[in-house]
Amino acid sequence: MASISSRRLAKELREIHAEGCPVGIELLKADDFATWWFSIEVMGESQYRDEKYTLQFRFDSQYPISSPAVQFVVGDGREAPIHPHVYSNGHICASILGNEWSPVLSVIAVCVTLQSMLASCKKKERPTDNDRYVRTAPDNPKKTRFHYDDDE
Amino acid sequence: MGNSSSSSGRHHEEMVDYGSLQPQGVYTGPQDWNQSVVTQLIVARKIAPFYRPLEEYEESWDDDQILAARKELPESSENSDTAARGDAVRSSHSKRPNGGKEFRPDAAVYRGATECPICFLYYPPNINHSRCCDQAICTECFVQIKRAEPTTTHLVSEPAACPYCVQDNFGVVYAPPTWRGGIGSDGAHPLSPLSVSRMEQQASVPTHKRRQKSYSADSPEVVTIDQIRPDWEAKLAAVRAAVARRANRRIIMRQVGDRLIPVGIGRIQTPEEAAEGGQYVGVSGQDLEELMLMEAMRLSLIDHEEHQRKEAEEKKKEEEAERAGAGQGVPSQTDQGTSTTLPLPSLSTPSAPSPGTRSRSPSRSRTPPIRDSMVNRSPPPFSTMNAAFMSSGTASAFLNSSRPPIVSSSELIPVPSANPRSEVDAQTATSSTIATSFSSLTGQLAQPSSSTSSQPSLGPIYAQLPSSPDLVGQQPPLALTGSTAKGETASTLSVPDGTTTPGEPAR
Repeated sequence: MASISSRRLAKELREIHAEGCPVGIELLKADDFATWWFSIEVMGESQYRDEKYTLQFRFDSQYPISSPAVQFVVGDGREAPIHPHVYSNGHICASILGNEWSPVLSVIAVCVTLQSMLASCKKKERPTDNDRYVRTAPDNPKKTRFHYDDDE
Repeated sequence: MGNSSSSSGRHHEEMVDYGSLQPQGVYTGPQDWNQSVVTQLIVARKIAPFYRPLEEYEESWDDDQILAARKELPESSENSDTAARGDAVRSSHSKRPNGGKEFRPDAAVYRGATECPICFLYYPPNINHSRCCDQAICTECFVQIKRAEPTTTHLVSEPAACPYCVQDNFGVVYAPPTWRGGIGSDGAHPLSPLSVSRMEQQASVPTHKRRQKSYSADSPEVVTIDQIRPDWEAKLAAVRAAVARRANRRIIMRQVGDRLIPVGIGRIQTPEEAAEGGQYVGVSGQDLEELMLMEAMRLSLIDHEEHQRKEAEEKKKEEEAERAGAGQGVPSQTDQGTSTTLPLPSLSTPSAPSPGTRSRSPSRSRTPPIRDSMVNRSPPPFSTMNAAFMSSGTASAFLNSSRPPIVSSSELIPVPSANPRSEVDAQTATSSTIATSFSSLTGQLAQPSSSTSSQPSLGPIYAQLPSSPDLVGQQPPLALTGSTAKGETASTLSVPDGTTTPGEPAR
């Protein structure tokens, strides 16, 4: 019996194949229900003009109740975008990936939200604690408890 | 799935409105909700029963198609049982031509099926709706939504927010069908073709038109996620108590010379204990700061220990050389046993502290003002401890050798955010610098997540996002906030549940 995770992802994938991805987002890889890759670029005027990044989703068996582990792919010529909420190891500090994840969100919804996060960036810079975080960061960004201080 | 044994085929009669009292295996994780409460709520028709979901649903389907689309059940025994039953139902009707006048309630309940927006499966239209924003949610998904488990670093348990509109205190309301079947159906209307068509009509009305009202979390119609997990408070209390126990352990230190020497582990009384009798040894915020300052000073002094010792040795050699040359001895000013020691009135006598036990006045660890420590007074009243410390070299060596139950250096103790003034961060003797201790405290204090309330609704966002790519670039990031990792302020927090904190100091 398929788990809730693969069942829902199968439906999401079917929808992606049927309706396509939003502009600037492409499905690169979805060979299984464990890891998906998307390419993401910001359309129009932005700090990230003509730049393309790879976004990785990792799902556990409790998706969508549990959030996917989402990060930018780094290595093999791929870089994480320089952004105040994106660490150089690809980890992203975004509340919807953590405590504000909702099972109603979908993979595409996350892609669009992150695309929008890049689009609204005013100044390309790394998080102030980038070096310290990257040195000891866990492999899975979900194991990090980020502090979303824009809330305050 | 501890409860699923009771959902086996023997209990077919335990159905409510053609739905089960037991989950149908949509989720495979542990059933950590209170199943008996859930059962009662289903029987009372306060939430929808666990219907077997349909993988897909088309309005045009006939009964056979509907029944065939029902999700396979997880357990083989249950599966075959129910399948056999389904066959029986089917065969009993198969004499008549399909699509005739015959009426099959177990298929009819799915007429006008609704897709649950979380599991993407289809359920009969009598489905739960969120109390706040009237969005459909099946019972399988509803029981999955819960408070985040409290951890020793996150000592609060916020009510789960609505997955659709992020309103606090998620709860659902359920409008039971006008017909009844199974438990509690005696004397009530059975499911009839007429009621099915009424059902379908109702389902075709857009949700937001069906109900204008949103219910408050304490309305009698509402079932909240806390109701089906009534143990959340006990869990939270247990974690808090564990943290408080650990936080009340403190290192009691004595200042000797230019150093603070840990002489044992004490424990601060909780106000409750004090109320029971005995002297209350409270720790005010000022005490806390002083304790931290002391710890910082101690560590910084330990850092210089080697240096000092070398200096002392050199001096000694010099003196010896001098003495040898001039025949005149000069007492060493760096001998810690004889000079510049401040007996601190608040510190324990060596016999008092015993690990894990309540420390009353003898081990009172109220810390002295730091400025006092700069003043040299009398010789140390407890020179044997001093000697022991001297011989062992470092505080940790001393503590580890003489006090087995002492917290290890890796077991850093977070400051409880709930009541930081009465629960004191235990400074372990062997780790953590004052800077990080302080910041871990502020990190905790700065953490109350008022964020949820300021978040925009996720429901509309979800509705817009996939189909409205042109929004990109025109709108600020929706429902997305973020910035630095918490490591900025919490570098010494240990996270026992396996998570790690960014910026953990490289040790």
